[in-house]
Order: sequence, then C-alpha cells, then structure tokens
Amino acid sequence: MSSAIQEQERERELGHDEFDPIGTLALIGIYFLILASMWLFMYFVEFLGNGPTVVGMI
Amino acid sequence: MGAYIDHFPREAKLIRSAFYTSFIMLALGGIFGVIQTLHRTDVVRFIDSADYYTVLTAHGVFMVIAFTIFFLVGMFTWAVTTSLERPLEDMSFSWLWFLMMTVGAVITGVTILLGFVESVDVSADVLFTFYAPLQAHPLFYIGLVLFVIGTWLAGADWFRSWWAWKRENPDERIPLPTFMVLTTMIMWYIATLAIAVSILAFLLPWSLGIFDHVNPLLTRTLFWFFGHPIVYFWLMPAYMMWYLLLPKFAGGRLFSDPLARVVFILFLLLSTPVGIHHQYMDPGIAEGFKFIVMTNTMFLLLPSFLTAFTVVASIEHGARQRGGDGYFSWLKSLPWREPAFTGMALAGLMFAAGGFSGMINAGMNINYLVHNTLWVPGHFHLTVGTAVALSFMAGSYWLIPQMTGRRLASKPIALLQVVLWFVGMTFMANSMHRSGLIGIPRRTAEPQYQGFEFEAALGSVSELNAQLAIGATLLFLSLTLFLWNMLITAFNKSAESPGENVIPTPLSGPDDSPAVLDNMKLWTAIAVVLVILAYTLPLASIVSRGGLLGRGGDAFPVSIDYLALFAQVALESAAGLV
Repeated sequence: MSSAIQEQERERELGHDEFDPIGTLALIGIYFLILASMWLFMYFVEFLGNGPTVVGMI
Repeated sequence: MGAYIDHFPREAKLIRSAFYTSFIMLALGGIFGVIQTLHRTDVVRFIDSADYYTVLTAHGVFMVIAFTIFFLVGMFTWAVTTSLERPLEDMSFSWLWFLMMTVGAVITGVTILLGFVESVDVSADVLFTFYAPLQAHPLFYIGLVLFVIGTWLAGADWFRSWWAWKRENPDERIPLPTFMVLTTMIMWYIATLAIAVSILAFLLPWSLGIFDHVNPLLTRTLFWFFGHPIVYFWLMPAYMMWYLLLPKFAGGRLFSDPLARVVFILFLLLSTPVGIHHQYMDPGIAEGFKFIVMTNTMFLLLPSFLTAFTVVASIEHGARQRGGDGYFSWLKSLPWREPAFTGMALAGLMFAAGGFSGMINAGMNINYLVHNTLWVPGHFHLTVGTAVALSFMAGSYWLIPQMTGRRLASKPIALLQVVLWFVGMTFMANSMHRSGLIGIPRRTAEPQYQGFEFEAALGSVSELNAQLAIGATLLFLSLTLFLWNMLITAFNKSAESPGENVIPTPLSGPDDSPAVLDNMKLWTAIAVVLVILAYTLPLASIVSRGGLLGRGGDAFPVSIDYLALFAQVALESAAGLV
C-alpha cells in the first residue's frame, strides 16, 4: 500500500483538536456491555446452585 | 524516502533471514498442529498415541519459541534502525546473534524430532513447559540456552544502537519504536534470568546425570517466572505493529505517543511478578501469594485496555480522514481490501475476545473451573495463536516487500488468507473454550473414556470435535496460502516500489509526555523491586520445604524396569480396590 494511494484517499486532514474519537467510545461501550453481561451470566451458570468453591465446606 | 531495503540493504538482508527462518518454524509448527488436532478428536489417527506428546512438544516449541521470537528479532531490528535512522553498529555482531539463535533452535528442534525415531535414544517429549520430572535429552536444554543467549546479544545490539544515537542526540526523546524495543528487552532480560537459573543450575545437570533429582515445584516456578513475561514478549511486536503500522494502513496517525509509552512501561513493570497465576492449582504455594499475584494480574489488564482505546482511536482517526462519520458508519471507510490492515484488525478483534477468557483465567477461584482443560489452549490460541500470529502474517504482507523490494505475489489471496485464519480460529477457539467448560482435558492424546461421557449443556461432544477439526483444517489451509504467497513473493521477478518506510507522526507527540517516562533506569529498578517482592517469599518457602534439589523421585522417560514396576503397583492397587 503506497502512501501515494493513501494521500489520494484522504479527504481531509484532522488534527489533534478536531478529532473526537466518539466511534471508539461507542465500540468500547459495546465491549463493556458484553463483558458485564457475561459476568452476570457466569454467576448464574457457575455459582447459583453450587456452593462456594474456594472457602467453606464442600 | 523509499523502501526499507533502499536505505538499509545490509539490515534488510538480516531481517529477511529472520523472517524466513520464522516462516519455516511456522510451517513445521502448523503441520504438528493439524496432526494433533485430528488425532485428539479421533478424526484421523495415523501416529501412535505415545508419539502425541512429541507432536505436542514440537507444535509448542516451534510455534511459540522459534516462530514468534525469530519474527520478533526481525521486527525489532526494523523498528530500531527505522526510528533512529541509523544502520546497526556492526553487522558481523548482528549476524553472530542471529546465527547463535539459529543453531540453538536447530539443536532443540532436532532433539524434539528425534523422539519419532525409535532406533535413536534421544527425545525431548517434555512439552513447551518442560516440567520436571519430565526429562529431555541434554541437547534440548543446550539448544535453548544458545537460543536465549542469542536473544540477549540481539538486545545488546539494539541498546548499542540507542547509546550511539543518544551520544549524537543528547537532548532528544527516545523515538517511540526504539522505546518499545528497549522496554520489551529489559523485561526479557529480567524474565530470562529465571529460566537461565532453572536450566543451567538444575535441569541441564540433572539431564546429564549429575543430580539424581530436582525440586519440581522450584523449576516449575522458575519456568513461570519466565513463562508469563514470554507471552508479552510474543505480544509486544504485535502491539508495536498495531501502534505503528495499523494507524498508517488506516490512513491516520497514532492517537497518542505518551499513552503508548505508558503501556510499554506497565508491561515492563507488571509482566514478571505475575507468573504464579499459572500455578493457582499447584500445591506447595500458599494461597496468600497466589492472591497477591492475582491482584497484579488484574492490574495487567490495564495496559491492554489502554491499547484497545489508543489503537481503535487511531484507526478511527484514519477512517474520519478518509471521509468516515457517525458512531459506527466510519468503520465502512476503512481499507478492508488491504490484507495487512484487515489481518491486523481481525487479530485485534480476536484479542478482545481473548481478553474475556483471560479474565476468567486470571481469577483465582474461577480458574479452578478451567485449569488444565481445553479452555486454556482455547485462550492462548486467541492471543498468541491469532492476535500475535495473524498480526505477524498480516504485517509480513507489508514488511516482506519492504525488505525485498519485490511486489507481493497476490493481494487477493493474502486477503482470503487472513479472513480464513479468522474463521478457522473462530471454530477452533469456540470449540476449545466450550470443551474446557465441560471438563475435557488439555495435553491428552485420547480424551475419550470408556464408561464415561462428557455432557455438553449446549450441543454435543461430537459437534465440538467437528468444530475443532474443521477449525484446524481451515487454519492449516490458511497457513499454506500464507507460506505459498511468501515463497512466490521472495522469488518474484517483478520489482515494484513497496511504498515508503515511514511511520506517521502521532497526533499527540512525545513532547506531550513527561520526560520521566524515558528514564529506563528508574523503570528497570521498579520492575526489579516488584519481582523481588512477588517472588522472594514463595521461592524461599519452596526451597525450605522441598530443598534445592528436591527430596527424590525418578525422571521420566524411565527405563522398562520402572514401567513394569509401575504396572505391577497399578495392578495391585486395582486389585485392592476390587
């Protein structure tokens, strides 16, 4: 991929102050939601109905 | 400006050699990977199950010692020379370390492969972890020692370049790519000290017959002292590509140089004092130490989260410069037809999924559910097997033309290859994680048992096995396409300018970061202190309880007499049970 092609495809030049990474926030937000819901899900699958696995009596 | 080879023809030759060696190792590792998958899922079994462990050792060592580290030395040499804009100080020294690594890798590799030859009494079926009492032929350890010393000299070479550059540029900040190399190498020096002690003081003399036995928990703990940082040693060249090349391919600039520096410092500090998290199930290490290590491990998630933000923001910057907008529609403006970009982006996506299973592994109590099951290989096939390997392959589509001045043989096949790897690994990792959850063990030639069935809550074991076998087959196909493409490229007659070897300047440059970030002595000192805090008490306790050389026990492989004795004991205890 030559930089000449990149120059042609660049429509505008965005500096540090003009760039607001809102799309990144959106993607990381989704990642966080998946993480949090999997965490909840794990509680139901692995722990509810089973006793504690590290401390306490078996 | 021009391609890398135009500026540094001598270095390009060295880097090419390192890359090609790594591809040979990748090819070998891949062959053993597909054999073992088809064997354990009982799809095709043409090797003896006893040889499965030779196959498994070969797959592990060729992939994660040889392929990754040969690629790393090529990549790091590129980074140092490009960013300091100076050739290596002394090419004969550079060839010396490369030669030393190659000789070491060949000795270790051949020793492993001799395990298939029954007429020769040489083997090293000890897996990548070489846990005692599994014992390899001394040549296995000697090869590893040569290989690691080669990497130490390579590191010295890069430090030497930096010192020479610093004398000429006393007031300048360390360029980011060199900074990444230096911090990673300091981590590697600290980590490999433990494996040097483990091999030179214990395992090698033991395999030579000087000691009768070693303390298995001690050598295991020393292994993981080295064994966790090595995962970051694999990962750092991939991170380097994500920080330096991916924004360039996306048509943007790195979002933040200071954040990148913080990430690499955090890896230097936190990679080593966490090794015991691989030993949550080991008896003989107190729960309290394991808890401290778990806390360190959770902090280690931080630099990866910082990376997720910085890299995604840098890609988004590229997309918006290419006209992208909206919350999600900017994703459509990315250069998805470029294999180097798509491969790395998919690798990053898989790494995000690897983060989920990594968090499970890191939790002390939840780890008990998945320890020693197929879940764990599922995790590291997402991380080293995709985040690292796929990034390396994707990066090669840009790097190899830079190093050879030749045109990439086929871009469409390259694109197909990276997508195929992603799809294959989706099947494989899905199957491995779910198999692990129902308790299917790892490191097992025949995980099929009479009178016992694993019960899947969702789907069935045969469905999981089918996914695993399909995944491995797709990955093997993808690997073949990659190697074919590289081979044709290497001999490609059509020379074409591969574009300029330029790393775009970051949006927020080094001037925005405090100078203390470049203080290598300070970070090294803190890293050493953290290691001392994390390891002194556990190691002291292991030695005081088990002694430096352990209290007895026999090495494996054992002689036939021992096998007969073992069979007799097993029969007697079985008779006792009945």
